Amino acid sequence: MSTTAAAPAPGASREDLAALEERWGERPSLRSWFGTVDHKRIGRRYLVTAGFFFILAGLSALAMRTQLARPESRLLSPQEYNQLFTMHGTAMIFLFATPMLFGFGNFLVPLMIGSRDMAFPKLNALGYWVFLFAGLFMWASLPFGAAPNGGWFAYVPLTERTNTPGLHMDVYSLGLLFLGIATTAGSINFIVTALKLRAPGMSLNRVPLFVWAIVATAFMVIFALPALNLDNAMLFLDRRFGTHFFDPGAAGNVLLWQHLFWIFGHPDVYIIVMPALGIVSAVLPAFTRRGVVGYPLIVFAIVAISIISFGVWVHHMFATGLPRLSYSFFSAASTIITIPSGIQIFAWLATMALGRVVLKVPMLFLIGFVVTFVLGGFTGTMFALTAFDQQVTDSYFVVAHFHYVLIGGAVFPMLAGIYYWLPKITGRMYHEGLGRWAFWLVFAGMHVTFFPMHLYGLFGMPRRVYTYRSEPGWDGWNLVSTAGSYLLAIGLLLVLIGVLHAIRRGRPAPPDPWGADSLEWSTDSPPKPYNFPVLPRVHSLHPTWDEASRESMGAGATRDRILADGRRTLLTSELDGSRERVVEMPEASLQPLVLALAMLVFFTAMLVAWYPVAAVAAVAVAATIAVWLWPPRRPERELGVQP
Amino acid sequence: MSTHPGPRARLTGGLLFWYAVLGGAIAWAVHLLAVWGVDELTCAGGRERIGALPLRAVIGAAVVLPALATVGALLAAALVWRRTSHPPEGVDERPVGRGRMAAVVAIWSNLLFLTIIVLGGIALLVLPPCLR
Amino acid sequence: MSVRAATGTEALTTELPVGRSTGWWGMVMFVVTEATLFACLLGSYFYLRFQYGGPWPPDGISKPKLLVPLVMTAVLLPSSLPVVWAERGIRQGQRWRLRAGLAATLVLGVTFLALQASEYAEKLREFTMTTDAYGSLFYLITGFHGLHVLVGLTMIGWLLAASLRGGSFGAHRHERVRNAAIYWHFVDLVWAAILFTVYLSPRL
Repeated sequence: MSTTAAAPAPGASREDLAALEERWGERPSLRSWFGTVDHKRIGRRYLVTAGFFFILAGLSALAMRTQLARPESRLLSPQEYNQLFTMHGTAMIFLFATPMLFGFGNFLVPLMIGSRDMAFPKLNALGYWVFLFAGLFMWASLPFGAAPNGGWFAYVPLTERTNTPGLHMDVYSLGLLFLGIATTAGSINFIVTALKLRAPGMSLNRVPLFVWAIVATAFMVIFALPALNLDNAMLFLDRRFGTHFFDPGAAGNVLLWQHLFWIFGHPDVYIIVMPALGIVSAVLPAFTRRGVVGYPLIVFAIVAISIISFGVWVHHMFATGLPRLSYSFFSAASTIITIPSGIQIFAWLATMALGRVVLKVPMLFLIGFVVTFVLGGFTGTMFALTAFDQQVTDSYFVVAHFHYVLIGGAVFPMLAGIYYWLPKITGRMYHEGLGRWAFWLVFAGMHVTFFPMHLYGLFGMPRRVYTYRSEPGWDGWNLVSTAGSYLLAIGLLLVLIGVLHAIRRGRPAPPDPWGADSLEWSTDSPPKPYNFPVLPRVHSLHPTWDEASRESMGAGATRDRILADGRRTLLTSELDGSRERVVEMPEASLQPLVLALAMLVFFTAMLVAWYPVAAVAAVAVAATIAVWLWPPRRPERELGVQP
Repeated sequence: MSTHPGPRARLTGGLLFWYAVLGGAIAWAVHLLAVWGVDELTCAGGRERIGALPLRAVIGAAVVLPALATVGALLAAALVWRRTSHPPEGVDERPVGRGRMAAVVAIWSNLLFLTIIVLGGIALLVLPPCLR
Repeated sequence: MSVRAATGTEALTTELPVGRSTGWWGMVMFVVTEATLFACLLGSYFYLRFQYGGPWPPDGISKPKLLVPLVMTAVLLPSSLPVVWAERGIRQGQRWRLRAGLAATLVLGVTFLALQASEYAEKLREFTMTTDAYGSLFYLITGFHGLHVLVGLTMIGWLLAASLRGGSFGAHRHERVRNAAIYWHFVDLVWAAILFTVYLSPRL
């Protein structure tokens, strides 16, 4: 089953392949490097850039752990420490987790649904450039000593100008507003791509679970991100222009920040974890040799979680004095949301139990994910005991909890995904032994770092302190955590070395090294610029495992799915994936880069208060969009104009 | 079922399908915004009545009506489930397969949202509306 | 139509929605996220107002006068009609209807912004956005909506310029017209919500 789908596909003739290469291929040049709209290149860039920001945020964490290795250390000043922990959290959440998963989505969604690109390739390129510039915008503040320093959730009144003077929180609010453009654009692109560009025959009941997860995530972004954007806009106006949204002395209210932040923030937990769980559902079939148990139930869980996550934000604010009754409505939702989450976990466990487990590196990370994530969920339920919650709030116990959830729930699946799709992305196999070492070091390092935090959290050590006096139970365990963090760093370094080794020395990967089920494995590794010589016709949920779908790309190929006479792909109907029409796709263009640069100038000028420059940049943004969308001149007959 | 349904029947059927799939979710969202907004704002104003109606009755209505809407969606989902279990001859298999999966998702999600709404309703029986 | 037909297998599995273009979906999703932003903004207005608890507007600011905003409403809400008329026209290939309809909307939209400017000139003498949270909310909500009108007008003006050039739109090519129209209708509807929240609700 593994290597039958190799190209050149018998369905597409040599002339067809040459024509497709001519239309879609990009000759290496500076212009094509800056102007590419290929979703695979953009996806790779997302992965690499998010990895780069992960390294920066990780080094911040190492600096903090080094400071905390012993009591009363003077390695870092309190001001530096505040900036480091804020940038660590902000970057991990906004510049690493979501963009990394968007990177997987960008590379994989068109391949998984059997399309030649995303619905809006140029918007996709714009999203990447904006993400890159917003990330650099935020990190660039650190060398100037002006990085955000109010914690990743930036509560007012601490972050108001009177309490935090300087540019720190302006960088935060403007940086996140800037980044929001990329996230929103990417989300709209995912939704429309999954609705309209699926291969013919891929009705909703044949859509891979990873695509379901990405689309649900995108919908959550669409509805959640505006709350954060509004919050940051108000914070910026308060700080810079003297408005009073959060000022109780002038009819404002500090709790408004918290409400808006958590209306965004709780769904954001799922925005981070959901696509990672999608990776789990995508990797599992290849290493258990069967489809995931209960496909409709997992789809139900994905949809239900993404909706209910909007109705639980008040549980972050149970200490703020609401009527007990309105509190109980949110409690009901917070309790019930565990049911779909449980369904997913049990479906995966059932898949492992019923299938034949193959213990390759990606599967090891999946098992690490289950163990760590369940432990994190377990400490999570402990917070539901109010008395306990009051005891450990703002202590290291909380830090331990959410690192178990986020490293367990997001980073382990991502690492599984990196090893799993590396052959597809680079065309090379990774070194299995190196991968195993990396797994055990990461797994051990993670637990050695964060498990002791439960303990010294219970012993009363508060989070976000730059140093501490020697206390029984604190000193030794802190040293253990620091040692663990270096172990974790070495493990992650081995992952990086494994990736580089695969690119340099790895043996060439066949199209389907795992015998996996979804469509990306039925084309070359790495895929050609046009993805599929023949767009598939999908007959089941596991197209690479079923004869009819595979044949549709080979002997059963038809002219209307090769589309070699132009840069084209197919539009299909929203629910049932019935063929609708052929559309022309845009070519490489520098407009996305120019637009993102104009936005960068705008936000930088706003930050340093050069408002005339910001105004010019805003006009440049509008002008670039106007040129971008300007309709090409067509003959009147083609347009259908009445005299 | 020898004849194909007309365009109006198709539109009605299609809308009924979406009611089955999303009815519970939308009813719950409306319910949550209504009970939270009404309870919080009325109590913040130091009152326990809205016009002539006691607050408890208004909140009760904001529990019962969405719950009934969810039950309706559940019934619609059950109908879609039944109609897709033994499709008549000559009907395209893809829409039926898609409808069947949506029906499973819809039955579960309507049950889930009904549970959430009912649990909130039980709290209303126990707690006075403005107790802090 | 019988109940039996509407609840049969085929009717229940009818594909709906179907056949929309990628551009249509993109614009609809964009409008949805923007609508959420306005919902949060207006929600913040009510939240701050009711948490404040005192007389609203606070600090002796007078309740907003209704004459100018009602005239603005009378200008903006009907401005959707020429867009609809223009879009229907270009669907039949009638370019003159597209041009005339867009021009009419452009005039109405610019009038709206001029009225808003005159209203600001008067209000700014009474309070600014730094007076208190009410002032901040008033100028943020109306100003943000005004910005959306400006963006909408830029789209309309851009469509008009493209249609005057020729070779842009016709019976087979009118997607951009439709997408810009969706945005303009959205800007209109949001104004109705703002009229209620900012101008009418303090009098309730």
